[in-house]
Amino acid sequence: MKKTLGYKVNIFLFLLPALFLFVAVLIAPIAMSFYYSLQNWNGLKTPEFIGFQNYVELFTSGSIKFTWALKNALLLALFSTIIQLPFALWLALKLAKGIRGERAFLSIYFMPVLISTVVIGQLWLKIYNPDYGVLNVALRALGLESWCQIWLGDRKIALGAAFVPILWQYVGYHMLLMYAGVKGVPPELREAGMLDGCTDGQLNRYIVIPYIKPILRVSVIFAVTGSLKSFDLIYVLTNGGPVHATEVPSTLMISLLFKRNRYGMGSTIAVMLILLCFFFAIVINAVFRKEKVV
Amino acid sequence: MKKVVALVLTLALLLAACSALAEKTQLTLWSIAVDSDANTPAYEKAIDDFNRFTNVVSGDDAGYEVVMEATQNEDYKTKIKAAMSAGEGLPDIFFTWSMSFLGDFVEAGRVLCLDDAIAPYMSELSDTMLANTTYDGKHYGVPMTMNVVTLFANLDLLKKAGWDKAPENFDELVKCCDDLVAAGIVPFGVAGKEAWCLSEYTEPLLVKTIGADGLKACYTGEADWNQEGVIKAMTIFTDFIQKNYFDPNASALGNEEVKQNFLAGKTAFYQNGSWNCGEVAAKGENFVAIPFPVIDETKSSLYQFVGGPNDTLAVTATAKDPEAAAKIAVLFGRIISREGNLIGSGLPAWAVNYKTNTVNRVSKSVAEMVAKSDGMVLFGDNFLSADAANTYLEFITQLFAGDITAEEFAQGLDAELK
Amino acid sequence: MSTISETKQVGRARTAGNKITPSKVLIYFILILWALICLFPVYWMLTFSLKDNAEIFGANVIGLPNNWLWSNYTEALKTGRMDLYFLNSFIVAVATILITLIASAMATYAMTRLVWKGRETMNKFFMLGLTIPIHAAIVPLYVVLGKTHLLNSYTALVIPYSAFSLAMGILICTGFMGDIPYDLDEAAFLDGCGVWGIFGRVIVPLMVPAVATVGIYTFLQCWNELMFATIFNSKEAYKTLPVGVQGLFGQYQTKWGPVGAALTIATVPTLLVYVFLSKRIQDSFIAGAVKG
Repeated sequence: MKKTLGYKVNIFLFLLPALFLFVAVLIAPIAMSFYYSLQNWNGLKTPEFIGFQNYVELFTSGSIKFTWALKNALLLALFSTIIQLPFALWLALKLAKGIRGERAFLSIYFMPVLISTVVIGQLWLKIYNPDYGVLNVALRALGLESWCQIWLGDRKIALGAAFVPILWQYVGYHMLLMYAGVKGVPPELREAGMLDGCTDGQLNRYIVIPYIKPILRVSVIFAVTGSLKSFDLIYVLTNGGPVHATEVPSTLMISLLFKRNRYGMGSTIAVMLILLCFFFAIVINAVFRKEKVV
Repeated sequence: MKKVVALVLTLALLLAACSALAEKTQLTLWSIAVDSDANTPAYEKAIDDFNRFTNVVSGDDAGYEVVMEATQNEDYKTKIKAAMSAGEGLPDIFFTWSMSFLGDFVEAGRVLCLDDAIAPYMSELSDTMLANTTYDGKHYGVPMTMNVVTLFANLDLLKKAGWDKAPENFDELVKCCDDLVAAGIVPFGVAGKEAWCLSEYTEPLLVKTIGADGLKACYTGEADWNQEGVIKAMTIFTDFIQKNYFDPNASALGNEEVKQNFLAGKTAFYQNGSWNCGEVAAKGENFVAIPFPVIDETKSSLYQFVGGPNDTLAVTATAKDPEAAAKIAVLFGRIISREGNLIGSGLPAWAVNYKTNTVNRVSKSVAEMVAKSDGMVLFGDNFLSADAANTYLEFITQLFAGDITAEEFAQGLDAELK
Repeated sequence: MSTISETKQVGRARTAGNKITPSKVLIYFILILWALICLFPVYWMLTFSLKDNAEIFGANVIGLPNNWLWSNYTEALKTGRMDLYFLNSFIVAVATILITLIASAMATYAMTRLVWKGRETMNKFFMLGLTIPIHAAIVPLYVVLGKTHLLNSYTALVIPYSAFSLAMGILICTGFMGDIPYDLDEAAFLDGCGVWGIFGRVIVPLMVPAVATVGIYTFLQCWNELMFATIFNSKEAYKTLPVGVQGLFGQYQTKWGPVGAALTIATVPTLLVYVFLSKRIQDSFIAGAVKG
C-alpha cells in the first residue's frame, strides 16, 4: 500500500496547486519585498541599490513617522490583550455557564465580526461626527455638552476613539473561541472541582482557564499580530490622521507607496511587519510554554 | 460658428490622413471624469462631438472613435502610476496633472512629444499656459483648464458682522475676521482632514508676502524656505489659527463638508480652487470672489495668484496611432477648455474666441482678475515631486496642528527637501 | 471536528439556579448592554438609510424614519452602482472559494494520506501562511500583476485571496480528513483505485462538511478585504463592495441617506445568511482557530 501510494509524481501533482499559489503569492513576493527594501525606487526609474539605507531612514527620518506608527500599533496590541481579551473571556465564561438566552447572546456578540470593516468604519465615522453624530447628540441630550468632542479630529483622543471600534468588533470573535474552549472542558473535571467545594470563580480560575490555555494563546497571537497588521478600520476612520495621531505601519506603508512613490521604503515597512509578526508569535508561544512548565 | 468650422476642418484633415482605414480605430482615453466630477460634461461633449462628427464627415465607419475610461481622482493616481511603471496596458490618451506628475512619466520615456500637433495652435496657447507641461523645451501635454486659488466670500454674513463691503486690504481682512469672530461667525472654512485644503490658505499668504516668483524659487530650491518672508507669512497663518479664524471643527472635516458649510452660510469665507466658481455663483448674488489682499507690497501685488494650467491631456509613447492620437488630444484639450469655461468648472487655458455670455458671474470676475495677473505660481503639491510634495504638505499639517512654529516650518522644509 | 462534537456532547454543565441575586442582575445587565452596543450600529444604519438629511441631522436622529425614503436605495443602486459591486464581490468570492477548496483538499490529501518524507515539514511550511501579513506581498504582487496586465481584473484578487486563504483551508481540511477512517482508503485500494481514484471517490465525497467550513471562512475573508481590493482594482467595472462603499462615501460626504442605503445593501445579505446558518458559521471560525 505504502509503496504504490508513494508515487513521488502523484504526491507532487497533489501538492502542485497549493504550492504554486503559496510560493508565487506569498514566498516569492516576500523575497522580492526584501530585495526592493534595499533599493531606492520610485516605480518608474531604474531601481538604485542603497543597502540598508531605507531601514536607517525608517527609524531616523522626521517626516516618516515609523516609530510613532509602530508605537500606536503596539499600544493597540496592549489594549487588545488587557481589555478586549479579558472582557471576551468574561463573556465566554458567563455564557458557557448555560444562562438563559445563551445562543441569542452568542449570535449577537459575534455579529460585528461578520460585517465588513468598511461598513463598520463608515458607521462609526458617522457615530463620531462632531455635529450630527449619535455620540455627541446623545451627550448633548443628556446635558453633558462639555463631554462632546471632535472624536476623530482631536489628536489627544483620536487614537483612543479609533481603537474603540477595532476592539469592539473583535470581542465577539475572541469570545466565540473561548466559549468553544470552555464548553470543551470535560464535565468530569468540573464535577471534581465542584465536589471539592469550588465556587464559580475558583472553578474558572483553577480548572477552566488552565484547560483553555491553548485557545488563549491563539487569541493572544491573533490579537497581537492583528494589531500590528491593522489597516481597514484605521484607513476608513482617519487614514492615519489627524497629523499622524492614528498612524499605524500599514497606513504609513500605503501612503509611502502610492502618495510618495517610494516603493523601496514601502517594501521596507512590509519586511518590518513580517519580522515583527513572527517575532511576537514566537515570543507569545514561548511565554505560554514556559507557563505550562511552572 | 467659427468653432464648428475649425472642428470640421480639423476632423476632415484627420480623416484625409487615414481614409485608407476601413474600420474605425478605437483610441482609449483615461480620465478622472467620473459622474461626480465637475468637468465631466465637458469631456462628454468633446467625445460626443468628436465621435458624431467623424461619422457625419466620413459617412462610413472609417476614422477614429474615442472611448473614455473614467476613474475617481485618488484611484486614478494609483492606476496611471501602475500602468506607467509597468509600461504596459497603457491607454492612448490620458489625463494628467502638470509639472512633476507628468514630468516623472516624461523622464521615464513613456510620453509622446506633442510639438508637431500643437504647432498649428500656438496662437491660441500662450507660453504661460504651456509652461507647466514643457520639459527641456518640448511640449508633452495639452493644457485644458487652469485654476487659481480663489477667496470666496459670503457678503450676507459679512453684513451681519457690520461689513457692507468685502475687505480690500490686509488690515481690513484682519479687522473683518475679528468682527466676524466677535459676531459668532466662523471666518474661514477649511478641511483639516485634507492637507491640500490647508495649502489653499498657506500658499496665497506666501504669494502675497514673498511674491509668486519668490515662492517658485523656494519650490525649485533656488531660494531657502528659511527666509524672513516665509516666516512672516506662516506666522500670520498661525495667528489666524490662534484667533479662531478657522472652523474649530476643521480637523475632523473633509473638503466637501467644508464647501457645503460655506454654501449653506455657515462660514464667511472659503478659499479654494476656482473650479468651485459655478457652484458658488449658483448660491446667489451675495456670494462673490475677491482677491486675497497683499501683505508685502514690495514683493507682491493684488493680482498675483496661486494656480495655473494643471489639468492636462497627454499621449503615451505606445499609442496605437501616435500622430492621430496627438492631434485628437490637442483637439480635445481645446474643446474641454471651452466647455469647462462655459459650465464654470475651470478657467480656460486656451484663448477665448467664442461667446462667453453664459459663463457664470463668479467665474467671469475671477477670469478678469487673472487677466490682470502679473505673477502666478502653481500649487505646491503639483509643483513638487510626489515625495517632496508630501513632505511639504506634512509640514503644513503640522503647522496647522500647532506642532511646529513658523520658524520650525521654514527650517524643517529646508532640512527635509534638500 | 472534535471541538464541535465535544461542544455538543457537553451540553449544560450546570443548570442555572432560579434565585435572583444582585450579582445575577448585574451580569444580565452587562450582557444585555453589550448586546445593545453590538446591535445599535446596525439598527442605526437601517434607520438612517431611509431618512433624509433633515431627519438624520437633527429632527430625528435615532428614531424610526418619519418618511420612509426608499429613494435612497434607488440612488445607491443607480448612481452608486452597488449592484455591480455586489456582483463583483460575489464572483470574486465564489472563484476564491473554489480554488482554495480544491488546492487545500489536494494538498491536505498529499500531506495526511500519502506517506513520504518531509510531509510534516511541508505542513509546517504552509502553516507559515497563518502569520504572514497580507501586506508583505503587496509591492511585488502589484508590480507583477502590472507587468502581466492582470491589474483591474477578477484574477488580480482571486489569486492572492486564494493564496492567503490556503493555510486556513489546509488547517481545516486536515481536521476533517483525519476523521475519515483509513479502512476506506484500503478498501478502495483493494478495489483497484489509484491515489486519484481514492481521492476522487472516497475522500472528496466525505469532505462535504469541510466545504461549508472552508467556504464560509474564505467567503468572509474575501468579501470584506479592503487593501488588495483598493490597490489592485481601480477600474469601476471590477470594484468589490468594500471599495465601492468606500468610494461612494467620498462622493456623498454630505448625503448620509444613500450612503446608509449602500452600507445596508453591502451588509444585509451576510446578516441574512448568518441568521439562518449562525451555528455553522460560528463553528467554521472555531474550527479554523482552535487547530492553530
